[in-house]
Amino acid sequence: MTESAATTVPPVLTLHNVRKTYRGREALKGISLELRPGELLGFFGPNGAGKTTMIRCISGLLKPDSGTITRHPFDHGDDDDPDNDEPIRLGLVPQNLAVYPDLTVQQNLEVFGRLEGVSGKALKHRINEVLEWAALKDRTRSLTKTLSGGMQRRLNIACSVLHDPDILLLDEPTVGVDPQSRERIYEMMQQLTADGAAVLLTTHQLEEVETRCDRIVVMDHGTIVADGTLSELVSRTIGQPHRVILKFDRPCSKPLAAFAFDEPRTTATCSLASMKELPQILSVLKQLDQEPSRIDVRSYGLQDVFLELTGRSLRE
Amino acid sequence: MILTILRILFLRLRNNPLELVLVFVMPVVFFSIFAGIFSKGIATGSDKKLRVGWIAAHETALSLELRAFLEKNSTLQCSSLIAKPSLADLDDEAEEKSIAEIEIEATIAEAQRSGRYDLIIRLPDDFPTRLADSEDSAPCAVQLVTDGQNPMAVAMVTSVVRGFFAQKKATSAAEQLVSLSLAAQSSSGYGSPREPNASQYFDPVKDPSQVFGNDQDSRFIVTNSDGVNSVNGVSDVPKEWAIAPPKSVFTTQELLETELADKPESENDEAVSISVENPQAATQENPRIAMYAAGIAVLFLLFSSTGNAAALLEEAESGTLDRILVSQAGLFHIVTGKWLGILLLGCLQITVMFVWAELFFKIQLAKHIVGFCIMTFSTAAATASFAMLLATLCKSRAQLNAVSVVIILSMSAVGGSMIPRFAMSDRMKEIGRWTFNAWALDGYQKIFWFQSPLTSLQNEVAVLLGSSLVLGVLTLLFSGRWKRG
Repeated sequence: MTESAATTVPPVLTLHNVRKTYRGREALKGISLELRPGELLGFFGPNGAGKTTMIRCISGLLKPDSGTITRHPFDHGDDDDPDNDEPIRLGLVPQNLAVYPDLTVQQNLEVFGRLEGVSGKALKHRINEVLEWAALKDRTRSLTKTLSGGMQRRLNIACSVLHDPDILLLDEPTVGVDPQSRERIYEMMQQLTADGAAVLLTTHQLEEVETRCDRIVVMDHGTIVADGTLSELVSRTIGQPHRVILKFDRPCSKPLAAFAFDEPRTTATCSLASMKELPQILSVLKQLDQEPSRIDVRSYGLQDVFLELTGRSLRE
Repeated sequence: MILTILRILFLRLRNNPLELVLVFVMPVVFFSIFAGIFSKGIATGSDKKLRVGWIAAHETALSLELRAFLEKNSTLQCSSLIAKPSLADLDDEAEEKSIAEIEIEATIAEAQRSGRYDLIIRLPDDFPTRLADSEDSAPCAVQLVTDGQNPMAVAMVTSVVRGFFAQKKATSAAEQLVSLSLAAQSSSGYGSPREPNASQYFDPVKDPSQVFGNDQDSRFIVTNSDGVNSVNGVSDVPKEWAIAPPKSVFTTQELLETELADKPESENDEAVSISVENPQAATQENPRIAMYAAGIAVLFLLFSSTGNAAALLEEAESGTLDRILVSQAGLFHIVTGKWLGILLLGCLQITVMFVWAELFFKIQLAKHIVGFCIMTFSTAAATASFAMLLATLCKSRAQLNAVSVVIILSMSAVGGSMIPRFAMSDRMKEIGRWTFNAWALDGYQKIFWFQSPLTSLQNEVAVLLGSSLVLGVLTLLFSGRWKRG
């Protein structure tokens, strides 16, 4: 989803100042955000940040103590009559494998489809589509408990999309999944967003959020500490997205304005807006006869953003 | 290594209070329950008496004496049944039986169905006013009507009734002997102021309790190997005794030894003829099996219902319940659907058990199919609600397993699934009324054992369905926790 689209398309979900005390602890401290159709929003944060509580509030399993959660009516048709707007369809993919292990793939899809109000030929048709989508066509009659972990995860997601939801909430959908299956799951989600669904997922996986999500919301201690694309987050918190560390065999005697030196001036660090700046810097250093013996380049990521925002590492 | 393994075992036990309870408290709880049942129930506890119903076509002096004798017995709790006018089957039976008889039989049947009596003593129309004084007279007929549940009752009451007649006959014999002796004295001049009084020749008549007590040396009584029964026939004193000049002094011992020596023992036992009737057994092939089938069925129904309800906890733990709650199915649908499933499975489970019992033990299921269906539905509904409530209140499957084992076994022990309720004391029976088992067993018993009409099931059905409703509503109220997380 492009940035311009993100601002022009009306949201399907709006949270405004949502607060929730859960099991004696204030799990959500005034959460506000919007989710738009076709958007893949990644909720990122350490354990206990409030991600799951927020998902449960959005799905209606928990009632917020205060604040509002609004699911906006969604126009599924082509006509412009607002009276034809249907209520938002919501799908939930719980963190655990929320399927019946003793039922076959087909049977699981049937029961969850019926629970979502899909039946008859529509259900049959939809099951076929979903089986293709989740790459489970050849395991239709297999008992779920006999599937691999990745397949079970895909079925877990598939059971939540039979009613073609407008919003899909996924709580840690790739926990314990091998890289191939993870890749397949993200392909599935991209297909969903391409079809106009809004997808909100929580995860611990830095790389997934950084590379897969259109927008990232960083949560900590029940509050949203950052919200935007990765580059927006980095530029807002750290400034430049890349950091270059130069090491010299002898102390650098020449003044280099862009660099910060440590004592005894054998290590210099600078931030770059683009990696294109690096060759120019190296050229200048060569001219000054201060060629570095080693160059480390690091791009800033969510870990650094989180550190910058909270003053602590994700592992703390 | 072994110590480490042991350490793991103990650490797990220490960190799991529920398991600790199961390991150490459960045996004590169950010991207490069974000790309660056996000490005050099956054994001769102070509050356990045989409950004997008494019904006589008409009371006579002898029947009143027998009644008084039974009431004095500390092991019996005797109460009268009053024959009520009954219109039931009068037309069919009127030709063969009197109306009074039909009324008495109806009263007995009703008393048995009530379950308030271990045994009923029925005295016939021709019950004599006094004990027969001739050997040719027919023995007094006493009918014991049992429902067959408590076999000990028949043996005990038979023994007590025989004891009464034996005493009675002994007393009668003694009195006759005295009168015969007096007559003999009178005809031979004995008893004149110059002669010694009859009482000088014979021992005074003793109270039966003295006779059957420790006074085995009485000269009136010759105790043979069967005890007191050997006094029978003493009334048959030869006529020549009365008219012939007597010896100077007769001793009772001499008289008895002379006259009783040749009498067969069987003749001495004919003071009473006790017959035992079991109306239920007369029309059924194997009714007791139906009762046990019900006991076992309810016990396993409770376990299987709880096991099925535990699926709710599994779904909650796996997140499946969250997914369903987010779908179009609301909490009411989920709880009701689960309840209905457990109910149907329960009905099926009991049906399978009874069909099996019918095939191999002939419990006449087809004959009682309507009552069976009513009781099975009521019982399964109550257990389904009970299981759903337990599952809703417990936080995990492990907790549910532990709690359900404790509650179900306790209920089954007290409610009669393990030990027949007739063997329990009244207090234990009262406690048992707080369990599904007791009501369900009473209902099945009425159907298969007493063959009662369907209307007689109203209390059992009302309690079971009422419990089901109350527990179901509580389940719905508490199930809100699934949404609160």
